[in-house]
Amino acid sequence: MNSVSSRTPRFVRIGALLGVVFLALPVVGLLKRVAWSTLCRQLTDVATRDALRISLYASVCATVLALVLGLPLAWCLARMQFSGRRFVRALVLLPMVLPPVVGGVALLGAYGKSNGLLGGLLNSLFGIQLTYSLWGVIIAEAFVALPFLVLSLEGGLRSIDVKYEESAAVMGATDITRFMRVTLPLLKPSLVAGLMLAWARALGEFGATITFAGNIQGRTQTAPLAVYTMLESNPEGAYALSFLLVAVSVGLLVGLRDRWIGGSS
Amino acid sequence: MISLHGTVEVGSFSRGLSIDVGSEIVGMFGANGSGKTSVLRTIAGLCPLGEGELEIDGVTVDAPAKHLFVQPELRNIGMVFQDHSLFPFMTAVDNAAFPLQMRGMKRVAARKLAAEMLEQFGVANVALQMAPTLSGGQSQRVAIVRALIGSPSAVLLDEPLSAIDEESRESVRNQIREHLVRLGVSAIVVSHDRAELDHLCTRIENYTR
Repeated sequence: MNSVSSRTPRFVRIGALLGVVFLALPVVGLLKRVAWSTLCRQLTDVATRDALRISLYASVCATVLALVLGLPLAWCLARMQFSGRRFVRALVLLPMVLPPVVGGVALLGAYGKSNGLLGGLLNSLFGIQLTYSLWGVIIAEAFVALPFLVLSLEGGLRSIDVKYEESAAVMGATDITRFMRVTLPLLKPSLVAGLMLAWARALGEFGATITFAGNIQGRTQTAPLAVYTMLESNPEGAYALSFLLVAVSVGLLVGLRDRWIGGSS
Repeated sequence: MISLHGTVEVGSFSRGLSIDVGSEIVGMFGANGSGKTSVLRTIAGLCPLGEGELEIDGVTVDAPAKHLFVQPELRNIGMVFQDHSLFPFMTAVDNAAFPLQMRGMKRVAARKLAAEMLEQFGVANVALQMAPTLSGGQSQRVAIVRALIGSPSAVLLDEPLSAIDEESRESVRNQIREHLVRLGVSAIVVSHDRAELDHLCTRIENYTR
């Protein structure tokens, strides 16, 4: 006989079932609209290939940029006590809660060619234009991806027992050696999860990218932007590309299954 | 030679200590919570001295009044931590070889030496096992090897035999003593087991609160 605590009320089961249907229906709808016979042709179309190439390149660069900036940030948030720590954490989380288009507008204010705080300076001194360029895509994607990486790394760093770093120090390991030989291996699960999440977020970025870098085919048009554009002109291509992005997302979930969706239980 | 004259921070309180250790094995006996581990951590450079001065081999490594503090990695100390602190992502032999690699030895040579010393301590059979799979006693022996292998200037042992079974205790104790005598270094052994210290040490300091 089931105990009271292990019995699940019927209304909870129905609610959960509705939740599953709500999440699964769009995926099924998408798969139903994919023209399987022309899938390969659609995915090798010039516009699609350009979008995929830009997406892949920009998302990897954005993830690297997020790592370069995010790891020191996560370290300070996890291990240092300083005034303004709560402010810095709120700042890190901001791109997560900000509407992406607003993020794009904010990026224009900072890095815009004519009126941007830094963008104007970069343009007048070095002739560097970040808006409507591949660099613009990378910056927009890094901006929205950074919080995911920082949160994952901060959690990982907090969970590492400092005794390992202490024992390494006593054995003669310098700061950098301790980090490379001890901290990094201990941080690996959080680092991998954070990188995958950040990359996925960068790959799927839409609002900030279109606002800051535009939607120029072959230059700044990423896969999500191409899907949006093709929905009007080439729906078959849009569904084919969407299918590919879903497949990538599923692949990512499989990669992270042990961490978040419970691989065995 | 370890020379510590000053106050050691023990959690929320600090206590004075005056101790000189030459080429000998000094046992520090005291109840749990009396601050024995804090003394070892202070000598190792993991906690700063409250006040006073700490010298290792005639070199001042901690003197708050002079704003002097030498980082732990520069003190050349071998230490057995109470919970062993073996790196969980390494095998036993890689753990034991770590101090040698930190002193510039190539990995292959360091592992070879580490494997030989693991054999002396009776844990050669687990050399290739990952640290988390070792039993308490095996893990403690690897930690002892790790503390002794790098020719340190001073050796600090925090409850070094607590996880080792009664039958093997004497042989491990003899191995530790032999190595310490051969190294000719200052060694401090901390334990709440007075009989254990009597067996291992040349001198006992009572460190009750």
